[in-house]
Amino acid sequence: MAGFLKVLLRNALQGPSTDPYPFAPTFSPKEIRGQVVVDPEKCMGCGICDYTCVAGAIHIDKREDGHTITVYHNACCRCANCYKYCPVGAIYLTDNWHSAHDHAVQYEQIEQQVITKEHCLNCGEPIRPIPLELATRLYAGKDDIDPDHVRHLCPKCRQMEDARRLHNSLAKPEQA
Amino acid sequence: MSETRTFSMPLGPVHVALEEPVYFNLTVEGETVRKVHLTSGHVHRGMEAMAMQRNFYKNATLVERVCSLCSNSHSFTYTNVVENALRMQIPARSRYLRVMAEEIKRIASHLFNTAIQAHIIGFGSLFMHVMEVREIMQDVKETLYGNRMNMAANCIGGSKYDLPREKMDYLAKQLDIIEPQLREIQDIYANDPMIRTRTYGLGLLPQKDAIALGVVGPVARGSGLKVDCRKDTPYAAYDELDFDVITRDGCCAWSRVQVRMAECFESIKLLRQCMERIPEGPIVTPVPDFIANEAVARTEAPRGEVFYYVRTDGTDTPVRLKWRVPSYMNWEALGVMMKDCKVADVALITNSIDPCVSCTER
Repeated sequence: MAGFLKVLLRNALQGPSTDPYPFAPTFSPKEIRGQVVVDPEKCMGCGICDYTCVAGAIHIDKREDGHTITVYHNACCRCANCYKYCPVGAIYLTDNWHSAHDHAVQYEQIEQQVITKEHCLNCGEPIRPIPLELATRLYAGKDDIDPDHVRHLCPKCRQMEDARRLHNSLAKPEQA
Repeated sequence: MSETRTFSMPLGPVHVALEEPVYFNLTVEGETVRKVHLTSGHVHRGMEAMAMQRNFYKNATLVERVCSLCSNSHSFTYTNVVENALRMQIPARSRYLRVMAEEIKRIASHLFNTAIQAHIIGFGSLFMHVMEVREIMQDVKETLYGNRMNMAANCIGGSKYDLPREKMDYLAKQLDIIEPQLREIQDIYANDPMIRTRTYGLGLLPQKDAIALGVVGPVARGSGLKVDCRKDTPYAAYDELDFDVITRDGCCAWSRVQVRMAECFESIKLLRQCMERIPEGPIVTPVPDFIANEAVARTEAPRGEVFYYVRTDGTDTPVRLKWRVPSYMNWEALGVMMKDCKVADVALITNSIDPCVSCTER
């Protein structure tokens, strides 16, 4: 019994262990998995986030000129599958865990981004340009390709450009 | 004229030991329990059927929601079984990361059960103290993985989260803080007269009954049986790590708590070894094409052996996913443990097997 009395006395002297939240800040690491955010600059609308979301919190609605991505915060279980599998890093979890709200506004707790297509620089076909970061990674080591230019081309024009580049590189040695 | 000596007494289903429903129909004679009939199924949610309607990636998250205290054990075993079925090898770093997630979870789980025992005894201040010490591990989980319970540490092909050096340092620091406090708690549970008189020799499960009932985990080890999946059929990185299987011969509730407390130190030992030996490299390997196959996997959860079976047909959804959890075997032993005990001890004996009702009924 003496053993525990010692602990009890020490705990009493230490004072309360609880944080006086919400009147003062509480322990919250920056790695905490909070609300989901979508980066409209990067999202391609591929749907892998929807495919891996067990909670069914992610909806992607295709439109003529692009797509709408909606994440329902109240359905989200913050497992970070979307973040893990997103190939372009367009969806991620923030450290914002403050999600208390009135019951009446529960369906308004959403992250929604309307993403419109751009036009191919060459032929004008509506496309979603791949993010610069990914394009830089894909074309790393190829100095003759400008990733920022290539990413604004539609797949067909990209192929044509590639073929032209190949043709030029093959033609050059003959001329020499 | 016949004389009625016994009568039946309902106990539960709400809050018998933990905040989980089990219904006991006790046949009592005065204050003594003569027969136990256990009814379960109150929290059946159809998890296995749900798993069969979702793809493999989704299920890694779904199975983690089966139970909160052993959440990581489920996703761990599930990813193991899918990797077995797809004949995948996971990277070496990921094998260590998985062991670390599991052992962090084990310390927190064992401390929770130990705290609840004090709570049932009525030793409220000890309960609060153990829960406060457990907060150290909760903070570790939150800092390393981003959540206090559902860590989402595993994905098919490896681990979701890498642990960079500064997180390892944080973990090492927290282990140094928790270790002396655990020694203190271990000593209190071993020697405190209030705990000892209440739990020593209570809920006896003799070794021959333990073998006959096939109990697993700390319940088996508290009856002197040396069974531990981590040693018997090593998985992840356990065969490369050095640890002991803890057993006690008391066969009672007190012995089971002693096993759990001693296992916390084994877990700390394992975590320190992992931090030292973890190799550098990738943490995840690409998932190959799905093939038609079937596989099993088993791991040692905090409560004992978790067993998973999967059958695939080449699509991205399992045809059958089945799991068997440790509490399924362990609560059969309650009939033996509660024989001729007092009604007041029923909750304490129930807690001594560390029941996980939501796992068992899923």
